[in-house]
Amino acid sequence: MDLKLQKGSRSTILAAIVLGIMAIFVVRLFYLQIIQHGYYVDMAKNEQVKRLTIPAKRGLIYALDGSGPVPLVMNQTVYTVFADPQTTKDDGKIVDVIQRVAGGNARSDLAGLLAKKDSRYQILATRISRVQADKIKTESLNGVGFQEESVRVYPEGSLAAQTLGFVDFSGTGRYGVESQLNDRLTGVDGLLQSVTDVSDVPLTIGNNNIDKPAINGDNVVLTIDRNVQSHVEQALADGLKRTGATRGSAIVIDPLTGHVMAMANLPTYDPAKFNEVQDAAVFNNGVVSAPYEPGSDVKTLTMATGIDRGVVSANDTYVNTDHIQVDDRIISNATLGQTGTITFQHALNWSLNTGFVTVAELLGDGRSINRSARDIMYDYFYNRFHLGQPTGIEVAGEATGTVISPDQTEGNAVRYSNMSFGQGLDVTMVQVAAAFGSLVNGGNYYKPTVVAGIVDKNGTFAPAPVAAPSNPVSKSTADQLREMTHVARSTFFSNVDKPGYYIGGKTGTSQVSKNGVYSDDETVGTYLGYGGGDVSRYVIMVQVSGDHKALQGARDALPIFTDISNWMLDYLKIQPKG
Amino acid sequence: MKQGGQKSYLAAIAKEAEFGDKTSVRKHKPDYLIVLFMGLLMLIGLVVMYAIGPQRANVLNNAYGSDYGSTYFFVKQIFSLLFALGAFTIMTIVPYTWLTRHAGKILLAAIAACALLAVAGWANLGIAQQSLGATRWFNLGPLGSLQPAELLKFAILIFMAGFLGGKARQGKLNDANATLVPLAIITAIAMFFVVVIQKDFGTGVSLASIILVMLAVAGVNLRNSGMIALIVVIIGTVLVIAAPHRVERMMTFLNGDNTSTSDDNSYHIDQAKLAIGTGGLFGVGVGNSVQSTGYLPEAINDSVFAIMGETFGFVGLITILAIFTALLMRLLKLMDHLVDVRLKLLVAGVFGWFGAHVMLNVASMVGVAPLTGITLPLLSFGGTSMLFITAALGLVFQLSHYTVHSSDLKEVRHEGFSSRRGIGRTRYTGRSGSTRN
Repeated sequence: MDLKLQKGSRSTILAAIVLGIMAIFVVRLFYLQIIQHGYYVDMAKNEQVKRLTIPAKRGLIYALDGSGPVPLVMNQTVYTVFADPQTTKDDGKIVDVIQRVAGGNARSDLAGLLAKKDSRYQILATRISRVQADKIKTESLNGVGFQEESVRVYPEGSLAAQTLGFVDFSGTGRYGVESQLNDRLTGVDGLLQSVTDVSDVPLTIGNNNIDKPAINGDNVVLTIDRNVQSHVEQALADGLKRTGATRGSAIVIDPLTGHVMAMANLPTYDPAKFNEVQDAAVFNNGVVSAPYEPGSDVKTLTMATGIDRGVVSANDTYVNTDHIQVDDRIISNATLGQTGTITFQHALNWSLNTGFVTVAELLGDGRSINRSARDIMYDYFYNRFHLGQPTGIEVAGEATGTVISPDQTEGNAVRYSNMSFGQGLDVTMVQVAAAFGSLVNGGNYYKPTVVAGIVDKNGTFAPAPVAAPSNPVSKSTADQLREMTHVARSTFFSNVDKPGYYIGGKTGTSQVSKNGVYSDDETVGTYLGYGGGDVSRYVIMVQVSGDHKALQGARDALPIFTDISNWMLDYLKIQPKG
Repeated sequence: MKQGGQKSYLAAIAKEAEFGDKTSVRKHKPDYLIVLFMGLLMLIGLVVMYAIGPQRANVLNNAYGSDYGSTYFFVKQIFSLLFALGAFTIMTIVPYTWLTRHAGKILLAAIAACALLAVAGWANLGIAQQSLGATRWFNLGPLGSLQPAELLKFAILIFMAGFLGGKARQGKLNDANATLVPLAIITAIAMFFVVVIQKDFGTGVSLASIILVMLAVAGVNLRNSGMIALIVVIIGTVLVIAAPHRVERMMTFLNGDNTSTSDDNSYHIDQAKLAIGTGGLFGVGVGNSVQSTGYLPEAINDSVFAIMGETFGFVGLITILAIFTALLMRLLKLMDHLVDVRLKLLVAGVFGWFGAHVMLNVASMVGVAPLTGITLPLLSFGGTSMLFITAALGLVFQLSHYTVHSSDLKEVRHEGFSSRRGIGRTRYTGRSGSTRN
């Protein structure tokens, strides 16, 4: 039947009302769904799409134990317990439970903290373990929450502390390897972005979902050998006790690879308690970050330069008068009385400054350290032995040092005469040790490194390739220098070494320049040497110093070298020659 | 004595509401458009239940640790629909005179059920299901739950059609003592149970709509209309002010969008608008609704319109509103083509019932009216409301057998409602389907 509304009936009014209201709805829907569509889509995104950062695990740091890696720095999940004083109910119980479970990790005056009812966040205990956290959770305390964080733990305590560095409370590596390799160790946080339901459970709806897994940081294996490091630290500590020095540094390098087997500095600190350290100076790894005037150790490099240039050899002679004039300065030997015609070997044995100023003169016209002599020395010191340049070792805060170029006004003959016996230039121990390494391994300069490789996902040690060396001097030069330093050591100290090995080295006693003036009551004692059989297996450099302490290479640093060297011979199982 | 007097007074009113005489118009083909529109809406509702049921189950499981299966709500909706279609069929077959003849008893039964619920709730019996501080449902165990207020709406519908229709036929509709006072008493009793005892303002509004539309169609004069309007406004205001949560809803609405995002009501409305807004022109598609995963409260019942907006977009909502409108217009047209004023009022009541639910629900979802908490008929999840509204539509469908052609209607009109002359004449019959389109 064709039904129509009857004109004039009340149903027309009702129909008008229905149509009117429907029209309002249509307009309203048009406004909401078409005009404001974008606004609501944005709002929905804010509300419905949750972004969840998946923290990348910071890489572990391993040391070597012989040839395999052992963990030196690990991660541990710890919990911070906090309370919202506005929502806590039974404050007395909370205080009881936290004190009982967290013990020393609980803050003092918990009741007082909970009584701050106008605050919403009070930390009750820090760094409690998962077990402790679970115990507290079972008490289901109202208004008490937990924050999870990962902290570094050090199974070997303070071993190699300055090489490792530490991770601060924001999760950033500070000092040492932790800082230098921070990016590699940190990895890349993952991102989970998803539309979620009201209780944050991800849904498979929509195309805004991102699932980027975290890339965990590299597990770095250091070249540091746990046993060598441990012994070096002990030997250094013993040495300081013996000599009265207050500061000591030592480095052991494998001259065949540039791998740093140990690097120690005293005083040191416990990286697990970095926040309790009073003097931030202990964070520095002095071996790489404290430039100093190296003194007589450098005479080996001057000699190598002369030999390599063919202007001098060990048994060539010169006339030693204990004094030599360079321009307007008179340079004297520290040890007097070895006057007359002597060999350069003799000069090295007695560490006579005149001998090496003579070598520097021989690099020029034989009478003065002219520009050409200086250019040659600079080429060897700076370009070939990499003094005054960062070595690129993977420890934060490496110092550059200073080697004055002959192009500069200060790079005059006097400067270079001083440089020939180790004054007037600033270098780091790692620079000197690495340079010296090239003289005992047949002329190959390996960049010093503390990274041996990584431990991959499967727990397998993947060694990093050894970078190709450069050749600062010829093999013949290197071999002659190796022999000269062997002779220099055996002349005075052969009885301290285990018999049947090939050990050599050079003492250094350098003056300390304070505010541009050489201090008269303070010297730094160093010893730079190597050891092994036919092949040199280690380079060791030791330095001891102390405020107002005149420390000497032979008396104070050398015994520490000897201690380490003899131990190394055993540890590396090097066969003595009959 | 006085007690007896009251009883007999009410009994007399009840008697006046009952009628057993059948319309003299001969039965012809019914209006299948009603079934079509109803079926379309039910299908759309079912699709949405299918899509969001799993999410609803998930949300409840997460929030309350319950164990709803992913098809629980879909299957339950199918059963609700089957029950509802059963009710529809029964209402189509059982002669309407059976209902109208027992209008008084049905109303008494409905009020008794409400009273029983109130007592059971007060006594904390298991059969009375309490939620949100109100007792609105009988818990029938595995059979589900039953909301007596829905039965009450149906009873009022039957009762008022007979009572007001009878008065209109006698020309006494605007007589205070004969009509308006009894009307006020019956309404007050029903409202007392629904709004005061069950704290169900939404059902109260829907009850009021049923009665008011009937009054309007019956022909209340201007003076009485004004008076009734005044009473409705005063009582409505009192009820709103009496309940803090209604004041909140009202304030939320009046304050507009973003003033108080923290309270539940503005959250509800904000989430509903967000759902509708994100739908855009064509919607996010079936099964892609995010708002139904717990953001939007009452996503499967009172707020289902918003979820449909998100799912089907502007185009979908306009379609749904168009079907609702078409159904409502169809009811009005049917009403105009019935001869017996009591049957007209029956349809008018269904129109008021259905229309109030659609308008108030949609209005609150799109943020042009405060939340009232009533369902969207045929689309919302909810057995009882679905059952009775479908029953009411079944009744209308039965009445669509007895429409007359417009030209014949005019003649009847001239004869006036009070006259019973000519109604039985055969010329009004036999037109069944002849000009049906």
